[in-house]
Amino acid sequence: MSRIFITGVGMISCIGNSVEENRAALIAGQTGITQLSLFPTKYSGLRPCGEIKIETGALKAKLNAQEKGVTRSSLLGLHAFREAVEDAGLSLEQVGSFDTALIGASTVGGMCLTDELYRDANEKGQGSEYLSSYDCASVDLYLQQRYQMKGIINTINTACSSSANAIMYGARLLRNGYAGRVIAGGTDSLAKFTINGFNALHILSPEQCAPFDKNRQGLNLGEAAAFVVMEKEEDIMEGRKVYAALSGCGNSNDAFHGSSLSEEGDGPYLCMRQALNEAGLGPSDISFINAHGTATENNDLVESRAMIRLFKKPPPFVSTKASTGHTLGAAGGVEAIFSILSLFHQEIYPALHFSHPIEETGLMPSTQYKKTALQHVMSNSFGFGGNCSSLVFSAVHP
Amino acid sequence: MYIHQYSCISPQQTFDNIDLVSLHESVDNKLTAREPVYKDIPRNILRRMGKAVRMGIGAAMPVFLKQPVLNGIIIGTANGGMEDCIKFLNQVIDYDEGLLTPGNFVQSTPNAIAAQMGLMHKNKGYNITHVHRGLAFENALLDALMITRENAGGFFLLGGVEEISTYNFNIDLLDGCFKQETISNKALYSANTPGTIAGEGAAMFLVSGSPRDAVAVMKGVQTLHSTNEPEIKSIVQQFIENHLPPGERVDLLITGENGDSRILKYYHSVESLFDTHTTIARFKHLCGDYATASSIALWLACSRLPLPPHMIKRRGRQTNCRNIAIYNNFRGSQHSVMLVGLL
Amino acid sequence: MGIEAKKFDLKILLMEKEQLKQQLKQQIVQFLNLTDVQPENIKDDEPLFGEGLGLDSIDSIELIVLLSREYGITIEDPKEGRKILVDINTMANYILAHQTQ
Repeated sequence: MSRIFITGVGMISCIGNSVEENRAALIAGQTGITQLSLFPTKYSGLRPCGEIKIETGALKAKLNAQEKGVTRSSLLGLHAFREAVEDAGLSLEQVGSFDTALIGASTVGGMCLTDELYRDANEKGQGSEYLSSYDCASVDLYLQQRYQMKGIINTINTACSSSANAIMYGARLLRNGYAGRVIAGGTDSLAKFTINGFNALHILSPEQCAPFDKNRQGLNLGEAAAFVVMEKEEDIMEGRKVYAALSGCGNSNDAFHGSSLSEEGDGPYLCMRQALNEAGLGPSDISFINAHGTATENNDLVESRAMIRLFKKPPPFVSTKASTGHTLGAAGGVEAIFSILSLFHQEIYPALHFSHPIEETGLMPSTQYKKTALQHVMSNSFGFGGNCSSLVFSAVHP
Repeated sequence: MYIHQYSCISPQQTFDNIDLVSLHESVDNKLTAREPVYKDIPRNILRRMGKAVRMGIGAAMPVFLKQPVLNGIIIGTANGGMEDCIKFLNQVIDYDEGLLTPGNFVQSTPNAIAAQMGLMHKNKGYNITHVHRGLAFENALLDALMITRENAGGFFLLGGVEEISTYNFNIDLLDGCFKQETISNKALYSANTPGTIAGEGAAMFLVSGSPRDAVAVMKGVQTLHSTNEPEIKSIVQQFIENHLPPGERVDLLITGENGDSRILKYYHSVESLFDTHTTIARFKHLCGDYATASSIALWLACSRLPLPPHMIKRRGRQTNCRNIAIYNNFRGSQHSVMLVGLL
Repeated sequence: MGIEAKKFDLKILLMEKEQLKQQLKQQIVQFLNLTDVQPENIKDDEPLFGEGLGLDSIDSIELIVLLSREYGITIEDPKEGRKILVDINTMANYILAHQTQ
C-alpha cells in the first residue's frame, strides 16, 4: 500500500495566525485562552475561551473576502486553507483540478451567527444575507466556489472528531484512486449555540482548563481552522517538502451514551488499536500521543483508562487543548498538525496547568518542552455520539 | 459494492404495505413523511428522538433485522435534527443565554442519527456522518463504495435522512428555494415557476462487497459542483461510458426534476444523452425536494417496483430493466450521477 | 387556640404538598416527554433514576432547569441535584423548604 505524505499545513487558532506562530506559542508554553473580548455573549467574563483576536470584518479585509453571506467560520477556513495550499506549493490550477479533493469538517458552520439564524428561522420578511450559509457544508462550499474546485468536495460532522475523520476519509480517497491530492481538515468558530450547549451540560470550566489534572473543572471552547495537504508518496516530485506520513487511522463508536464516554472507554480503545493495526505497529512503537484531553471529568478519566488498557504503560502524552481550547470540528485537524510538527521538528510541547494526576490512573502528561527522538505519534479525537477516531503519523526521514 | 437490503420511510406508502400508485398530497408545499408506529424502538429512547433520528432509526430496522451484526454505519444528512437544533437556539435567545435544557443540544448534532444507531444496536464499528448539503448522501455512498472494497467480508449500513422543520422551511423559503404559490405535488412538473416543494424521508441500505444474495450492484457515483451546463452534461456522459458494461445501455434514467423552472435546463441537458431506448422517470413529486432525496431514488431503483404512470416522463423501448442511472442536482450547483445494475 | 391554628396550617401544608406532588408529576412527564408514563402512575417514592422511571444524567440536568423555571430554585452543582432528585417526595420537600417565588 502506498504511503500517504503530508506536504502542506495551514492553521489559525487563538495561539497564532499561522502554523509557525502556533508552533512558537506551543514551544513557549503560551495559552490563548482568555476572557472573551470580541465575541458577544452573556458568558464573557465567566467562561474563558480560545478566541482568535481578529474581528470578522478585519478577517474579511485581510482575505479580500467581500462576497455576501461569508461567515466567520468560512473566513477562518479560508485563512488556513490558503496557508496549507501555499505551503504545499500548489498552483491555483492544481487546486481547481478534477483530481484535487477537499474534505472539510465542521460542527458549527454558519451557526456562529446565532442571532441572525434565530431571526431567519423564526421571522417572515426579507431574510438576511446568510440564508444559505448556516449549515456545516457552507464553509467548504465557499472554498469550492472561491477556488473553482472540480474534484470531490465533502463535509463531515462527527462532532468533536469531525476533522480527524476528514483526514481519514481523504487518505482513503487517495488509496482508492478517487483523488490525486487531498486538502483535508476542519473549521469551527465560537458560537452562542455551542457555548450555551456545553454550558447547559455543565462541562465548561470557569477557569483555564487543566487536562488530566485531578482537579480539572471542564473544558474551554476555542475556535480554529486547520488543513493539511496529503499526497501519495509516488506522486511527490523530488525536492518537495514532506512533513510526515499518515500511517494509520481508526474509527470506532463507543455505543454508550449521547454525550459521555463508557467507563472502560471501548470506543477510544478500539479506534487507537485500529489505527495501530492499520499502521502495522504495536503499542510500544508509539513515541508520543496528542491526547483528546478535553479536561472534562469524563473524557480525561476514560481516555486515561483506555490508554492504560492499550499501552499498559502509556508513552509521553499531552493535551494541547490547554493552549488552544477545544476547537470542536477543527480539533482533529489542529492536533494532527501539532503531531506532524512534533515529528518534523522532533520535539514535544508542554502540557499546561497540570499539577496533580488523577488518583485512579496516576498518569502525568509531559509538562516540559523538549527535543526528543520521535518515530510515530498518535492523535486522538473523541466526540459526542461516541464518535471516536485516532490517527497515527510517522516521521519521514529524507 | 452490492446492495442486499433496502428500506424507506417517505411521504408515500413506502415502508410497509408499499403502494406507489396512490399519491399522498402535499400540504402547503410540504410533503411530510408517513411515519410508521415505531414499535421496535424502546419508548424511553424514542421520547428524546427528533424526527430525523426517529425516521433514520425506523427505516434502518429492517436492515438490522436482516444483518444484526454490521461492520459500520454510514449516514448522509445535510442537517440532521434541524428542529432540535433551532429549538435549542430559540432557548438560547428566548431565555437570553440563561439556564437551558441540554437535551435538544445533544440531539441536534447531525451525527446523532448514526450515533443513536450505534448505541441502540451496540455497534462499535466504523461510524460516520457526511453532511455536505446536496451531496451528503452521495459522499456517504462513495464512502460505502470504498469501505466495502477495503473490507471484503464486511456488511455496512448506508443511509440518507432529512427532516422538514418549520425553521429550515422558513429559511429556505426566504432564500427562494420553495415556490411562492401553493401547488400540489401532483402538479409539480407543470408549474413552470421558480422554486420547488419541501420534502423529507429516510432511505437505508445494507451493502457489502459480496454478490451473494444481493439485489443490485452499485457501479459508481460521480459528483460535481458546477453551474456550467455543457460541463455537467459531458461529466455525466463520461461517467456512464466509463461505468456501463460494454454492449449494455441505460434502461431507466431517474431524475431529480423538481419543478423549479430555474434548473430545468440541467435535466433537459442530461436527458438528451439518452435515446428512445431509455425510460425517463421522476420521483420528487413523491418525496419533495431535500438535500438527500437522491437516496429515495436509489431505493426506488432497488425496489424493482413497477413505475406508476405518474412517475414516467417518457416511456422508452426497453423491455428488460437492468441498468438504472440516477441524475440529481441540488439547487443547480451540486450535481450527482449514480449507476445501479439490477441483479 | 394556638394549637388549633397550628393544626390548620399543617392541613394546608399537607394539601399544598399533595397538590405540589401531582403538579410535579405532570411537569416531569411533560418536560421530559415521557410519552408512555401517566403522571398519576408515578409513585411518590419511586426512584427517578436507574430503576423506576429510568432517567439519566441529561434528564437530571433537564429537571434542574425545570426547578429553576417553575419554582425559582437554583441548583449550581448537578451532583447536589442528584440528592434532591431522588423521588417525588424529595423534590417536593426541597421545593417547600426553598421556594422563592
